[in-house]
Amino acid sequence: MTGVICVASLGLWLAAGRSSKAQAPAPTPLAAQDTGVYTTAHSSILAAVREFFGIRSTPVQPIAFTHKVHLANGLQCVYCHTGVDEGPDATIPNTNFCMTCHVAIDTTNPEIQKIAAYQSRGENIPWERVYGFEQSAHVKFNHAPHIRAGIDCSTCHGDMTKQTVAVQAVKLDMGYCITCHEQKKVSIDCVTCHY
Amino acid sequence: MQRRDFLKISAASGAVAALEGCGNPDHKLIQFIPEEDLIPGIATWKPSVCTLCQSACGTQVRVMQGDAEVVRNGQLGLIKMGLAKKIEGNPAHPVSHGKLCPRGHAALQVTYHPDRIKGPMAVTGQRGSGEYQLISWDEALKRLQAQLGPLATAKQKGALLFLTAPLIGQRRTIVEGFAQAFGGSPVEFELFDRSVLEEANLQSFGIAAMPTIDLSHSNYVISFGADFLGTWNSPVAQSVGYGAMRERPGQRGKFVQFETRVSQTGANADEWIACPPGMEGAIALSLAHVILGDKLRPANAAGALGTAIDGWSTGLTEYAPEKTAAQAGISAATITRIAHESASNGPAVVLIGDLATAQTNGLASALAVNALNMLLGSAGKPGGIEFSPTAVAGGATASGRGANGSIRDVVQLINSSVPKALLLYGANPVFATPEAWQVKALLEKVPFIASFGSFVDETSILADLILPDSSPLESWMDGSPEAGTTRMIVNVAPPAMNPIHETRSMPDVLLTIAQQTGGDAAKALPWKSYEDAVKASLAQYQSVKGGSVTATSADDFWSKVQAAGGWWSAEAEPAAIRLGETGTTIRTTTAQFDGDPEQYPFYFLPFPSQMFYDGSLANLPWMQEAPDPMSSAMWGSWVEVNPATAQKLGIAQADLIEVASQHGTVRAPAMISPGIAPNAVAMPIGQGHEHYTRYASGRGANPIAILAPMSTENGALAWGATRVKISKVGVGRLALFGGSFREDEIDREPR
Repeated sequence: MTGVICVASLGLWLAAGRSSKAQAPAPTPLAAQDTGVYTTAHSSILAAVREFFGIRSTPVQPIAFTHKVHLANGLQCVYCHTGVDEGPDATIPNTNFCMTCHVAIDTTNPEIQKIAAYQSRGENIPWERVYGFEQSAHVKFNHAPHIRAGIDCSTCHGDMTKQTVAVQAVKLDMGYCITCHEQKKVSIDCVTCHY
Repeated sequence: MQRRDFLKISAASGAVAALEGCGNPDHKLIQFIPEEDLIPGIATWKPSVCTLCQSACGTQVRVMQGDAEVVRNGQLGLIKMGLAKKIEGNPAHPVSHGKLCPRGHAALQVTYHPDRIKGPMAVTGQRGSGEYQLISWDEALKRLQAQLGPLATAKQKGALLFLTAPLIGQRRTIVEGFAQAFGGSPVEFELFDRSVLEEANLQSFGIAAMPTIDLSHSNYVISFGADFLGTWNSPVAQSVGYGAMRERPGQRGKFVQFETRVSQTGANADEWIACPPGMEGAIALSLAHVILGDKLRPANAAGALGTAIDGWSTGLTEYAPEKTAAQAGISAATITRIAHESASNGPAVVLIGDLATAQTNGLASALAVNALNMLLGSAGKPGGIEFSPTAVAGGATASGRGANGSIRDVVQLINSSVPKALLLYGANPVFATPEAWQVKALLEKVPFIASFGSFVDETSILADLILPDSSPLESWMDGSPEAGTTRMIVNVAPPAMNPIHETRSMPDVLLTIAQQTGGDAAKALPWKSYEDAVKASLAQYQSVKGGSVTATSADDFWSKVQAAGGWWSAEAEPAAIRLGETGTTIRTTTAQFDGDPEQYPFYFLPFPSQMFYDGSLANLPWMQEAPDPMSSAMWGSWVEVNPATAQKLGIAQADLIEVASQHGTVRAPAMISPGIAPNAVAMPIGQGHEHYTRYASGRGANPIAILAPMSTENGALAWGATRVKISKVGVGRLALFGGSFREDEIDREPR
């Protein structure tokens, strides 16, 4: 059995090698040109395997944003993460939002100056995603009902007052969700989250 | 190891081989700062208006935050913005009643089309080469001003030609005002000319407008060729009315269709009767003859409309069923029976359109049908034909809309004195006129051509300067449809989303130029923006009682009307008809056809396509993919041939046919169809584009190109008046949804 799997993998690997040789790396698109290839597939087998097993590399953020400092200064979660009680996503605010305060606060800090630079270029800060589920799980998490039910942000996101750059402090596997759902007597039907 | 992990590893190894990633995975696009404050994941429905035909159906658009790939200042990046995701009908709208035709649904693809012009462009190569370079809006406006400014000062009549699709509302007002201020005239061009019916209704009823048919109260519908469930007049409103008629318990009405080729509307008829092209008016008068002769209706019921027709007062003896039957190949008994049925099962309504009015005797036929309606008692009555009150209020009492015969005026005009500048917006006459008219050569004479369209097509490729309008979903919408409802109505809708590309609303561009030019131009167009112009035009409806929106102030009214997608009266208020005074006597002359019947034995029947309409929607891939309702053909053209004819000529399904008129040839695969007379062949209109995005360019054949330059009595193109011959020239390909091809064999490749 293992032998078959190895051969299969080898075959696929060879095929992968051949096909990636046959196609040159995608050229930098010209202004307003898209590549015309649209698929939800992954860019390599390795990427597919990693997603399947839920292996994710540690995100590297463009700005060393520290939750600890902001929360210590009295900011509430929802002040920046607006819409969390209205829709599925907890938004990350855009550059302009950060600058409403930081146009005056801590302007000599090189990280803040980076934000100012983004704003002057009209760019949003390219944050890397910290929380999420692998695509193959087909799970859609909706923040709003959880917030409305009075669940504290720290329940799933950990104690942000101790975090600088955000990391996944709580292991958010399906068991974690189901445990809480069972305790609170909320639906554990598959379709509640997987659709 | 755990079973689960084992299965996971096995599955992973058997996983699909290396694949290309999504669109642009390795090149991290920069993200622009969003310009809107949106809650992600929550959809809102916004009202809008469909502009893909003249019906102006009210729509609602589902808008949600998404990431769009856009170019800003020459840089490609992502931006979070509200994006239109789906278009549906607006349930409260008096025309669409919450429904849409397939074209309305596909309008979404106009906004997101990959070949949409994304910013102003100036031609770099030769005119017509299609080689353009992107320029800034400042540069584009400067160039336009430089060309048009002198025309405003010179005020030379005919110096500017503004060629557009038919427009309504303030968009039309601004275009008209602009054209006149710069020494020119606006010319509206549409292939499916409404001018024949508008002229007929002007003469008969004093209203130059398309009819609004009260099908939901009809009990007997006779249609002469009008594709009223598909493409003719206001198809969505008519389909809703037709559905209401058919669903009436115990009284579902009867529908009779007379035409030469079974259209998708005709396929719904209870009785479908083949009739040669050009004989529709004669058959209508034959029905009138029976009604008059058998005293089924009062003799003077048709009043002045009847007496205007030659022979009416003496009982239309020329149109006795036996005589008409012999000419038309219909049995006299059928004509007599239908006449009796229609007179005894009122309300009965008679419609005429499409090929029947695209004949040299189209106007006379339409007048005959009007007289028949009057005789049956359905003119201006429930269950019959009525007229929109806003069409009348908007000035539809004069024959205002230019016929596409006005293109012929344009042709003559350019021949006598070439305009200095040509502005294009939504009209593609190089595609949609017969080559015999040589429109392309004539337009090329104009020294400066600018286009406001969103796509490069056969006409706009001649432009020296392109200033792309935003798509309808990204634009303010306003105006009243000419038909579809007898309620007072004006559509008003703000943009459903911000422009994704660097496009600008065309009326706003005109206003900018006018303001910069100053003088009379600025006076003629005093608004700061198109939005202001729309707001100003609405004020008149605020005080009207019984409207859909009540408000406490002008601002309150403005915001409520926008939220609703328009303003309409709660009750139907059909316009009062003024019966025509007896004037000119109408004779239904025999229709003339181009081409000797010996050499060109077949009537040539181009027909409007449900998907492409007049060809302007062939660029939308959903419309290419959508199977034709009668044949299920996709992604191509075809020639419909009667089976007996095919057998005689040795033509099999999908054989490549050459169709030749006296003015040109086209080639397309044969579709053997029992639904067409043996002495006729038909082709769908819409394909055969030379330049029209990757989906339509070089695909199929254009039947309009080979049409003869025949006219209706009022100068419109008689596109049903050409005769052709056909011959097999090879083997073609037909992609039928019904299974003649494997799915992966259908040729959808961009050309």
